[in-house]
Amino acid sequence: MIDAAVTVSGLTKVFPVPFHREPVVAVRHLDLRIEPGDVYGLLGPNGSGKSTTLKIILGLVSPTHGRTEIFGRDSSLVESREAVGFLPENPYFYKYLTGEETLRFFGKLCGLSGSRLRERSDQLLELVGLTNARDRRLSTYSKGMLQRIGLAQALIHEPKLLVLDEPTAGVDPAGSRDIRNLIVDLKQRGITVLLSSHLLAQAQEICDRVGILADGVLVREGRLEELIAIENQTELILENASDALVDRINTLATSSNAKLIARRRSTTTLERLFLDATSEDSNK
Amino acid sequence: MSNETAAITRHRAFSIARVFAITANTLTELTRLKVFYVLLIFAVLLIGSSVFMARLTFQQEFQILKDVSLGAMSIFTSLLAIIATARLIPQDIEDRTVYTILAKPVPRFEYIAGKLTGVLLLLAISTLVMSAMFLAVLYLREQTVLHETLRQMSAAPREQIDDASRAIRSSALNIDIFPGIIIIYLKACLLAALTLFVSTFATTNIFTIVVMVAIYFIGHLQATAREYWLQEHSTGWITRVFLALIALIFPDLQTFNLVDDIVVGAAIPLALFAKTAVLGIFYTTIYTLLAAFVFYGKEL
Repeated sequence: MIDAAVTVSGLTKVFPVPFHREPVVAVRHLDLRIEPGDVYGLLGPNGSGKSTTLKIILGLVSPTHGRTEIFGRDSSLVESREAVGFLPENPYFYKYLTGEETLRFFGKLCGLSGSRLRERSDQLLELVGLTNARDRRLSTYSKGMLQRIGLAQALIHEPKLLVLDEPTAGVDPAGSRDIRNLIVDLKQRGITVLLSSHLLAQAQEICDRVGILADGVLVREGRLEELIAIENQTELILENASDALVDRINTLATSSNAKLIARRRSTTTLERLFLDATSEDSNK
Repeated sequence: MSNETAAITRHRAFSIARVFAITANTLTELTRLKVFYVLLIFAVLLIGSSVFMARLTFQQEFQILKDVSLGAMSIFTSLLAIIATARLIPQDIEDRTVYTILAKPVPRFEYIAGKLTGVLLLLAISTLVMSAMFLAVLYLREQTVLHETLRQMSAAPREQIDDASRAIRSSALNIDIFPGIIIIYLKACLLAALTLFVSTFATTNIFTIVVMVAIYFIGHLQATAREYWLQEHSTGWITRVFLALIALIFPDLQTFNLVDDIVVGAAIPLALFAKTAVLGIFYTTIYTLLAAFVFYGKEL
């Protein structure tokens, strides 16, 4: 049997609060299984326990009860992190380092050196589109560029699992789209991605499975299309359909005991409109 | 990018390369602190200006020069050890860089060891710069005094000139200065390790610095307090354990003050130097292990 990328069993995390009677329960009896190659979205409002769960999986915080594993290895063990790359929420890397120096620093922490480290840094700078900014200090990077260099450092040791905490938080729509495209690209390369987000539209675009946390409890979990499907409804999207044709379809539906619920012009998303408008503007 | 997803290298429980990477980065971070240059320039200026201080004889001149210079080095390295170390861990936690580092296969002990080694290197560089300045000033003054003396004693017998030259050399630049400089450095290392330990459970840099300043003063006063206590109270095992605990929490920093002997031109006995050096290394090791122990269990 193939090991799951991540297994969380009976996880509970309680944070004691000094001078308060009631401790804070951040996560309650959480069970998760993330299969290799999936993009898994851990969703929920702020304070729902997403970041705590990710930190426990990464060994940064210890669980009160339960166990977490990464590819079959206890995730509290340092060696389990050989298989993981992590991008924290709103990361601040060392501002005095350049993009390339940042990758070299994190590469050395993963045991890379010499020409292997140089080649790997070059590949990743290319992948995240920062080759031209490689010699610039991070203090001059935009928010989106920082997220991309963060993604590159997370990938420096070719991890099998990528953990992203709110990867598009605070990034403009164009930067957000770049990161989303990178995640899709990584999935195609066979990398498992576990991401936390409260930006549901973005999660919907890229996740295979999602888990929804509320007050530390997993309230929904499963394959995305199954979770959001409305069992008794079907969508038809027609191009160049005349009113007469739509009327005939409506009549046909009514005669078959079906009901046309909505009839409207298709729209684009606000994000697509924004991206098209800003790219047109910058092309002028 | 390769689809081979196996880890690139086999994990080692301890890796010098990882510690060195953190050390090099910490040193870069610290050399960008403005306070480092302000303190270093201040100390170097103080050492340089000690040449112009009032004196009556060449012995007094060299005494003042050594007293001011070694004192400046001691205070500067101690201050730098506390200020530079206090910010390292809280800053990394605030900026979340600690997450990206520890989410890599880096044991927490290596992180602590790398950070501390970075500070110790910075202190070593500062001590070397100040020592070079101090020794250069001392050597130049020694040569000036020698030339003046030789000029004034040109008619004196050879033995008298040799005696005067020996007297000048023994009170100026001599080998006894070096153990003193090493002890000043070891005291700063001890303070850096203790600051790192305090910063593992402190919530802010300011708290760490305030606690360390208090420890610094208590550490200089505790020997006197201990002598008084032992004179006034019985010396049973409970008293001794209590005093040993106090000595562990507040290191006896007065022990590291060997400058007075050097200033008056007295040699530091080898046994005393060795004992003080071993004590400094012992304290530094203990505080580093304590820092690693507390940081190991810290929720980030």
